[in-house]
Amino acid sequence: MKRTREDAAYSEQHAKSRRVSASPTLFSLSEELLVRILSFVPVPTLLVCQLICKKLNRLAVDSELWKAAYYKRFVLPRAARIPGIKETPLQHLRYSSKLAKWLNDGHLLNNGRKFNWKHQYRLRHNWSKGSCAVSEIVVAQPPSDPPLLAVMSNNAIYTADSTHGIRAWDSKNGQDFIAARPLFKEGNDIPQIPTSITVDTSEENHVHERIAVGFDDGSFNVFTLAADNKVFELLFAHPPSTNGALTALAFSSPYLLSMTQDHLLSIYAFPDKDHLDQAPSQVPKLIYSLKSHTVWPPASLSIRTTPTTMIAAIAYALPTYLSGWTIGVQEMRFSRGGELLESRLATAADGQSFTLSGQRSMSSPSTRSSSPFAGGSREPSFVGTASNSKPTSMSYSHPYLLVAHPDNTLALYLVKSTSSLLSISAGSRLWGHTSSVSGTYVGVRGKAVSVSRLGDELRVWDLESGISSMTCRRRVGNEGLSVRVQPAKSDESTNNKSKSTPTKHSLRLALDEGFDDATISKGWVGFDEQNVIVLREKGEGSQVLVVHDFS
Amino acid sequence: MAGEDAKTVTLTTSDNQSLKVDREVAERSILIKNLLEDLGTDGAEEIPIPNVNEAVMKKVLEWCEHHRKDPPASQDDDSDSRKKSTDIDEWDQKFMQVDQEMLFEIILAANYLDIKALLDVGCKTVANMIKGKSPDEIRKTFNIQNDFTPEEEDQIRRENEWAEDR
Repeated sequence: MKRTREDAAYSEQHAKSRRVSASPTLFSLSEELLVRILSFVPVPTLLVCQLICKKLNRLAVDSELWKAAYYKRFVLPRAARIPGIKETPLQHLRYSSKLAKWLNDGHLLNNGRKFNWKHQYRLRHNWSKGSCAVSEIVVAQPPSDPPLLAVMSNNAIYTADSTHGIRAWDSKNGQDFIAARPLFKEGNDIPQIPTSITVDTSEENHVHERIAVGFDDGSFNVFTLAADNKVFELLFAHPPSTNGALTALAFSSPYLLSMTQDHLLSIYAFPDKDHLDQAPSQVPKLIYSLKSHTVWPPASLSIRTTPTTMIAAIAYALPTYLSGWTIGVQEMRFSRGGELLESRLATAADGQSFTLSGQRSMSSPSTRSSSPFAGGSREPSFVGTASNSKPTSMSYSHPYLLVAHPDNTLALYLVKSTSSLLSISAGSRLWGHTSSVSGTYVGVRGKAVSVSRLGDELRVWDLESGISSMTCRRRVGNEGLSVRVQPAKSDESTNNKSKSTPTKHSLRLALDEGFDDATISKGWVGFDEQNVIVLREKGEGSQVLVVHDFS
Repeated sequence: MAGEDAKTVTLTTSDNQSLKVDREVAERSILIKNLLEDLGTDGAEEIPIPNVNEAVMKKVLEWCEHHRKDPPASQDDDSDSRKKSTDIDEWDQKFMQVDQEMLFEIILAANYLDIKALLDVGCKTVANMIKGKSPDEIRKTFNIQNDFTPEEEDQIRRENEWAEDR
């Protein structure tokens, strides 16, 4: 007996398969080995392999292969850009399913084994190429006044206007109108005029999306959309106030930040966020309020939370004496209990310029402001004088602050916020648009979209690479930084067109008409992982949401 | 005599041939390494390798001989530094210039014997035979039957249209 026992069973099964095919072929290899072979071929070859035969078609879409391909193309280049990681030998950065190595894409790993990595790869590929399918939702006809407001979150688009109230569409499946609720003043049927809208950005509890709408009389409502029974439920209605229309809102439950047209900033805390859905009558506590004398529109509000603190930030335009307009950020740090810990501000102004307003800070009795020119000692950069036209739109999603200017450019600033310092980096100019930029939106994971005034151009930006080129202090062409979005070929849209019905509440697909007949009414633009939405006005006076689907 | 024995082992192949090799060379195979450790033998016993014939075993041992001083392979498949397909060192490329039959025999043997570096060289060689070819050329290379209907083929092409350069 020469064979060892553990060997026997293994070899028997092997010997059997080997005896059948005396001379081995490619398919004598186990599927595991075939996948191993495929792990060494590039993506275009994987797609070719799908066409060889059924067996290889099945193996070439193996999720692990695409996960590795995704990592190699979209995660690794980002990792290589991060200073510090660069110094470690590159082999440590090779593909790994360890969460830490996936950077901001780590959330994808939580999707489990069933996750379709090929689909995810295609999505990112389409973003990077700017290719998408275009469709439209008619939202107002004729356009409402004041203009319709829109916001997007988790594959749903929310709009608010005085005629139709608050409405929701499903942007993912392309066709579905979800819910509507008219907006009336309490006790009568006078329509309310919405002036701002936002969605709850807190990470927890995404079962029910929460939307806050601000009105011209200073009141605001908080709604929840129960996706299963497709109705908006009113969670809370704040009474009107004498402070005027709410021009901006930010919401990250339990905190809500609002700003009036007179730049009165108010921060509310809902008492118990876990039970917000169950107890609609709970009244939020006003935890802080301050009035600003320096804020000029446009402004962008944001809330972010850490385990112990809540940080409310406002980014705004600021006129200066000598060099035109600049931008500033004020940040207020609160304890979870609602106590103001610190308030500080920073501007991107060049150290030599002076703000037009006598007061440099937003005045407030308890505001301890750190140096308003925290970044003042840095060397003068070309940006200091370049960004002096009044911004048309801005979007702040920490740490990126993207500002649109009427001179066809965008300026990207990096906001640094540490326990001791708040500063705004020198701006970086982003070229690419051929008409003036009217809308910007910074979204998740350093991706931003911008739209030019005529609405004929939509660009997707990778802000991370913009920052890295800034830190290198090289003035690079932005060619690699953004892509112009191109609607998909027309045959694809006509295919889809046949199955969609042009009722008022359904998605209507854009004909291959280009954008020549349209102007953007408000330059509003928003996006999530799969779609970019642009609000624009059609020639005949109706407003449509144009959906660019990258999947 | 005993000292010399400790450094060599005798492998018996599927066609009952005995091959005497240095223990260090044989232990490139994790299977053999574990087997020797488990048996605790001084090498006097013959190690049966019932899945590999003499011709293939000799080829595999040739590779092991050349790579006897390589650092041991990492067993962590996940964090392993999988190099690009084209990165096969010159000696290995020459070594892999064999007919398809032998190539697949080597892959199967490397898999069975658990010699990861050799397995990867084999898989990369096959990957290089696939790269840059049309589906038809690949079918011809590996003698694969096209079992798609034209409709199925069309559908796959449509699904993958996104990847084409515009």
